[in-house]
Amino acid sequence: MSMKIGTEQFKERVDSGIHDDFMRGAVAGAQDGMSLKRKAVTTDEMSNWEDWRNHGEEIRQHVLEYLDYYLEQLSENVAKRGGHVFFAQTKEEANEYIRSVVQKKNAKKIVKSKSMVTEEISLNAMLQEEGCEVVETDLGEYILQLDDHDPPSHIVVPALHKNKEQIREVFEKKLAYTKTSKPEELAYQARVTLREKFLEADLGITGCNFAVAETGSFSLVTNEGNADLVTALPKTQITVMGMERIVPTFEEMEILVSLLTRNAVGQKLTSYITVLTGPREELDVDGPEEFHLVIVDNGRSTILGGEFQSVLQCIRCGACINVCPVYRHIGGHSYGSIYPGPIGAVLTPLLGGYDEYKELPYASTLCGACTEVCPVKIPLHNLLHKHREVIVEKEGKAPVSEKLLMKAFGLGAASPTLYKIGSKIAPAALNPFTSGDKISKGPGPLKAWTDIRDFPAPNKERFRDWFKHREKGDKRP
Amino acid sequence: MKVTLFATCIVDMFQGNVGKATVELLERLGCEVEFPESQVCCGQPSYNSGYVKESKEAMKRMIETFRDAEYVVSPSGSCAFMFHEYPHIFAGDPVWEPKAKALAAKTYELTQFIVEVLKVEDVGARFEGNVTYHTSCHMTRLLGVKEPPMILLKNVKGLKFTELPGKEQCCGFGGTFSVKMSQISEQMVDEKVHHVEETGAQYLVGADAACLMNIGGRMERLGKPVKVLHIAEILNSR
Amino acid sequence: MIGTIHNRDKFLNQIASRLNRPRISAPIERPEWKFQPQYDVYKDATQDELLEILTEHCKKIHTKILTTDLQGLAAVVHDVVADYGGGPVVTWKDERFAQWGLDSLIKQQWPSENIDVFEWDYTLGDENIHKAEKANVGITISEITLAESGTVVLFSDKDKGRTVSFLPATSIMLIPKSTLVPRMTQAAVKMREIYQKTGHVASCINFITGPSNSADIELNLVVGVHGPIKATYIVINDL
Repeated sequence: MSMKIGTEQFKERVDSGIHDDFMRGAVAGAQDGMSLKRKAVTTDEMSNWEDWRNHGEEIRQHVLEYLDYYLEQLSENVAKRGGHVFFAQTKEEANEYIRSVVQKKNAKKIVKSKSMVTEEISLNAMLQEEGCEVVETDLGEYILQLDDHDPPSHIVVPALHKNKEQIREVFEKKLAYTKTSKPEELAYQARVTLREKFLEADLGITGCNFAVAETGSFSLVTNEGNADLVTALPKTQITVMGMERIVPTFEEMEILVSLLTRNAVGQKLTSYITVLTGPREELDVDGPEEFHLVIVDNGRSTILGGEFQSVLQCIRCGACINVCPVYRHIGGHSYGSIYPGPIGAVLTPLLGGYDEYKELPYASTLCGACTEVCPVKIPLHNLLHKHREVIVEKEGKAPVSEKLLMKAFGLGAASPTLYKIGSKIAPAALNPFTSGDKISKGPGPLKAWTDIRDFPAPNKERFRDWFKHREKGDKRP
Repeated sequence: MKVTLFATCIVDMFQGNVGKATVELLERLGCEVEFPESQVCCGQPSYNSGYVKESKEAMKRMIETFRDAEYVVSPSGSCAFMFHEYPHIFAGDPVWEPKAKALAAKTYELTQFIVEVLKVEDVGARFEGNVTYHTSCHMTRLLGVKEPPMILLKNVKGLKFTELPGKEQCCGFGGTFSVKMSQISEQMVDEKVHHVEETGAQYLVGADAACLMNIGGRMERLGKPVKVLHIAEILNSR
Repeated sequence: MIGTIHNRDKFLNQIASRLNRPRISAPIERPEWKFQPQYDVYKDATQDELLEILTEHCKKIHTKILTTDLQGLAAVVHDVVADYGGGPVVTWKDERFAQWGLDSLIKQQWPSENIDVFEWDYTLGDENIHKAEKANVGITISEITLAESGTVVLFSDKDKGRTVSFLPATSIMLIPKSTLVPRMTQAAVKMREIYQKTGHVASCINFITGPSNSADIELNLVVGVHGPIKATYIVINDL
């Protein structure tokens, strides 16, 4: 899987999303439940929650400003502990390096813990080409993988769009599972099957929540504990990180982990937060003998130094997705990207280009719910607007009819005379479409409005006329 | 106190009653209301669609129109917020940035103005009926006006208030979003209509004419009996 | 052993050029942060208050919590293991077990009850992992305990295998009351202090909050996915 999911056009994807009743019920329920949980451990519990967000923001901004320094420090400290560091500017470079490790180790059985960046670089496809068996060990991702690589629809809960009956069917087909669709029984089956995979794996691959420059450490945040087994049992470990996922010291890591768990799942901390430094030590029995850290750019550096830099503050908590009213109704697959929701609509066009993703910035009412919850204060709705500006003014990718309309609107709005004439003749112009005080079948751009709702007929007497008459002392109702 | 009314184009053309109620309400609270004829649209529809250059002329026109005003008051949270955006839009422009800042500093949404500037919490209104209230996104999140409409509604005699479930959810208007992404917009407004019905209210009240036009238009299309009113109309009834 | 670094200069130069400035390699000072809300949490709480907070939070994380003094510890551990269905039991190799009077339980009572006990022994290599995998109960000791989130912090070393807390079906964590701190903040500060004093960080530091769980199936919480299915904290009054 790469960043792109599916082959359909945006409109078709939205259409299938809107007609997927189970998915919509699941998403709405998840959003409502998650919002309550998030509020309970953020604004309800902490009167100074804004300070936490401010602190998160200042840490992330500082790191981006000195990113080259912190990455250098990180790599030095990883190497000091005997780890190997590879800087990959492109996904091809990252995959080539990982391929070379796999070949050198003659690795055949690979276990992975959830990582968005490995999805982004299509790592699994390369590993399968190498003849490796790759097993995703996060329960949600495991389910999707078993179901012939169904794409994820949420960055924290990847199988959110599936119900337990669908999962039971997948298990039945792929694992000869015979029990019921009770989540406990399904999870137990996964535990038993995956325990074997952990024990026999010769290579473990993880993502990285936050690397710590000062000590060359990195942290993994899970509830299931799968990342712990991925990093404790195989003899070789490869960790892949997006280059911006770094903090100066343990003290900043702590803040961002706290922001992440509270916003992602409404927990003070998740069940497992694992801080790893280098390979195992000389006399250790568990942990990898060999450790590789792959630091991935893949388009991120082009975002640095520009008007979208703040998107790199993201800590992948998904809070913006959980409050987005658009995501609520169309679901994750509609975005056509492994990064859905507001963060996806900002990030995906930057990494994947406007040609493929020019609709995404418009899939928002700019209601600001995302910006309001973001724990590191990314002005997401402003960035969506910024994309629109770039699409219209720099890329010239807006439809011609819209351009003409906006030009006319600009002229009309800017000129009191034109505005007055336009608004004066509007009732007459719209008269053929008006019945009583409403328009039910509007012409031109109004049609998309009146397909769904009635539009008020323009008042025969504009407010400004009423006001003028009133000033003159006319008695009018 | 002299108040300069920024009526908004929707009110000017489609919602004259809202404009009238706003004027009468402010006058009753002792304000002298003026309406500069040269006001046009604040530029939000084209600006939000990404047409920043095209929108700036309208914005400059508005800045000039309200240059001499003491207080600018608007019966729309979203349009009032747009004036507060001007300083960001003209950031770095030596001529227009300071002017934009001056305009933003004196621009208020109607209920905000009544509570925060006039310091009035009870406007002496009476309204018999069961009412629910739609909190518009731009007004609450971006302009940051959350309490004033609630304070004023609470003090209206005869009014029974029922909170709207899922009130923090956008109604699906979003300017050109409502036509550009009409299929998604429909789902959003339908959920909003569903919530309005759940309250059993006879009236849906809001402080933003555009959101009301969206929810109201959908309710009318679906034949729902709920009546839509702007908060100025409630506060102006006696 | 020193590791290798590949491809670094090109990569970091690109970052510097995008940031519109020369590359920065000289150490920069850790900034004075403007906001520091983390120190306010349970700022003046006593150990007893922290214990209350911990106890309360355990209800939310599906974790049983028991408190005992040193005299009662062996009996409590014995009962919890019995409750979990007996052995096999796997423990770290740690002097504190003896100091806390657990020797007779581990070396006499359990064997006499036919409960198999294995103490981590790095000289046996992978055998340790097989033992942990087959174990019913794993016993570990918290070095720092976070009251706010109900979290124990384990530091690995040659005698303290990581897998003792992951592989067994159930988990017992011993918590000296003196290790209680308000929240993760104090743990992070201590981890830095240790690093600055010794130049060393444990290869695996684990913050564990209750048993493993997942909400990946219709957001229903399932306890016990890959790690332990049940967890008990035993707080030892060592103050």
